[in-house]
Amino acid sequence: MSIHPGTAAKRKAPDSHTPANPAKVRRRSPTRVNPALYLFPLPAVAVIAFFLVMPTLQAFQYAITDWNGFSAAFNYVGLDNFIRAFTKDSLFTNALTNNLKFVLLVVIAQTAFSLVLALLLTKNSRGSILLRALFFFPTILSSVSVAFIWKFIYDPNFGLANTVLRTVGVDGGAYLGNDAQALYWVAVTQVWFHSGQMMVVYIAGLQAIPKELYEAAEMDGANKWQQFKSITWPFVAPATSIVVAYTTVQSFKAFDLILGIAGNPPKAALDILSTRIYSTFANSEFGYAAAQSIIFMAMIALVTWLQRRLLRLTPKGD
Amino acid sequence: MSQISRRQAVALLGAMGFGAAAAACAGPGGSTKPGGATGPAAPSTGAVTGKVSFAHWRGEDKAVFDELIKRFTAKHDGVEVAQDISTSNDYNAQALQKLRGGAIGDAFATFRGAQFKNFTEAGIYTDLKDSQAVKNYQKGLLSAGQNGDSQLGLPYQVVFPMPMANLDLFDKAGADTAPKNWDAFLGMCEKLAAAGVIPISWPGGDVGNGGQLFNCMIANNAPVDDMCAQIEQGKLKCTDDWFIRMLNQYKDLKPFVQPNATGTAVEPAQNLFSQGKAAMLATGSYHLAAVRSLGAKFPIDLVFPNTTSDGKGKYEGAYNATFILGVNSASKNQAAAAAWIDFLSEPENAGYYANQTAQHVSVDKVEYTNPDLKRLSPWLQKKTALAARFQFNNLDVRNAVEASATAVISGTSPEQAAAAAQKIVDERL
Repeated sequence: MSIHPGTAAKRKAPDSHTPANPAKVRRRSPTRVNPALYLFPLPAVAVIAFFLVMPTLQAFQYAITDWNGFSAAFNYVGLDNFIRAFTKDSLFTNALTNNLKFVLLVVIAQTAFSLVLALLLTKNSRGSILLRALFFFPTILSSVSVAFIWKFIYDPNFGLANTVLRTVGVDGGAYLGNDAQALYWVAVTQVWFHSGQMMVVYIAGLQAIPKELYEAAEMDGANKWQQFKSITWPFVAPATSIVVAYTTVQSFKAFDLILGIAGNPPKAALDILSTRIYSTFANSEFGYAAAQSIIFMAMIALVTWLQRRLLRLTPKGD
Repeated sequence: MSQISRRQAVALLGAMGFGAAAAACAGPGGSTKPGGATGPAAPSTGAVTGKVSFAHWRGEDKAVFDELIKRFTAKHDGVEVAQDISTSNDYNAQALQKLRGGAIGDAFATFRGAQFKNFTEAGIYTDLKDSQAVKNYQKGLLSAGQNGDSQLGLPYQVVFPMPMANLDLFDKAGADTAPKNWDAFLGMCEKLAAAGVIPISWPGGDVGNGGQLFNCMIANNAPVDDMCAQIEQGKLKCTDDWFIRMLNQYKDLKPFVQPNATGTAVEPAQNLFSQGKAAMLATGSYHLAAVRSLGAKFPIDLVFPNTTSDGKGKYEGAYNATFILGVNSASKNQAAAAAWIDFLSEPENAGYYANQTAQHVSVDKVEYTNPDLKRLSPWLQKKTALAARFQFNNLDVRNAVEASATAVISGTSPEQAAAAAQKIVDERL
């Protein structure tokens, strides 16, 4: 093994301020902690290792097998599962397309809608507080409840949407039964479900903006749009960052909402990655489902990272 | 207690991490495979005592099973039976993993088709061919639970996945409940429509229930009885003439199903039928109890959409033998679980289950007292086809093939719908 000359020189000629034995210095350090304290993270590390690290590593291993989930026998298939997902499985690529479309729709609509709500309800008046509670209310419902409420709303025969529309002579159609529209209707449900929650994040951000800035802007003659563009938007950027990232991950994982509203398995028009993985798993293709899960994980990470870069919500290098 | 050093603490954490990584790298197939190595054995015998977990998906039958459990425990001192109920979809997806350990589902039920096949491959079943229970069943209805020489499960229910008919509305419209061919069936629908009712309530928004009509539509159209298995194996294609002919018949049905049928879930479809707004409910006899509970008071019979042009079809209807009862090979209490299955299979208890849940059973010598079951009993003697959709072992293939029918009802051409389905099939060959 070779040693870099510079390194060797450094070892031979330590700086005059560097003691000969650093270990001794550590022992003498006034900030030295009792080594037993290093055991304190053990329970957390054990839980994370068992429930997070181990399954994740296992997923990587399963992803290169054709294991069906229950047999003792399996074969290693290399990257075949990954290749199949992108080149030979139109159900997977359809779910991927649906998912990206769904995420895009929900992120834009939910971010805009929750920001508008927050701007309207920032003041701590009695009416605002009541309305905030009202808009926040769907958040505390379970996904399955929300799914069933909206499944009924969208029912073309007895549902609320068509019942109301029929009073003015309009037939709203099949809603979830229309493959071209179904995903948009579920996106409406998702936005209704979570906008109140994101509104709270925005309100916290808006209330932290110093009022003096708006006063100064008004004195300088700035109109409302200019105030929003130059003060509000830059100051709520951290909140936007949270809202966008959270909404993205949430929309990627709208598993329970989709299954509740569209049934199991959902039809192709409503299939997203998480439901596709579940279907593959239920179809006794465990190895392939693991490969799909890894693609899913990478996709969420990539989209979230791209969003933060494209929206310039975090400085370069963070 | 002596203190540990920082180095020891780090080494301990490192060892844990290494252990986790090593454990994660254990081969996926290294887990237990109950009963698989030596083939299925009969359930072990012994005292009928202890706790029995009975896993199934029929939440609507819980009260009936509770009553049967009460009778069973009165007969056997010291035994307890607890029902472990999941929704049918969850049961389909998760039951295998849950039952493998043996902690849940000493006795259990499975669907016919893919689930039965997977359970068989996983070695979950014991062999019931020598059991007391098997002697009580009608021989011709046991095949869905057989694998080779073994009787792994006992198909408990017989259901007819055929449209249910409101006989009052049929009488009012002067429509025949036994159309001899496809034209006669369409004529019947026209008469019902002319009488001001929706001829067919079809839950096209529900994959599972909407797909039941497929069993009737394909029965006489396909050239062979194992048509769905052959589609899955690539021997038959969705683009074949016979399949396109069937999709064209679905197209014929479009004017006779309720508006926006592809967005209708099963509950609203049941309501249309129960409220007398629709003359037929295109699901099956397994919804008898549900429509009665929704207030349907009218007499109900079944209608077979006869797809033949000359009335010379091989089949007069469709049936399914399902809710396949089994004893878990991983169970620690097989004796009591087997006794519970024996008990359910006794004609008296099977009769109680049938009459209370409005479902026929495969058990012989059962007396049907439920008026609906009595009326539908002649269908047990007719030449009916075993529901074809359960031949599919790959659920993606099944959903794609059935979705072609839904696509046609929503306006896609039969040729396009068939090609889209075949693409999914081809990808899975």
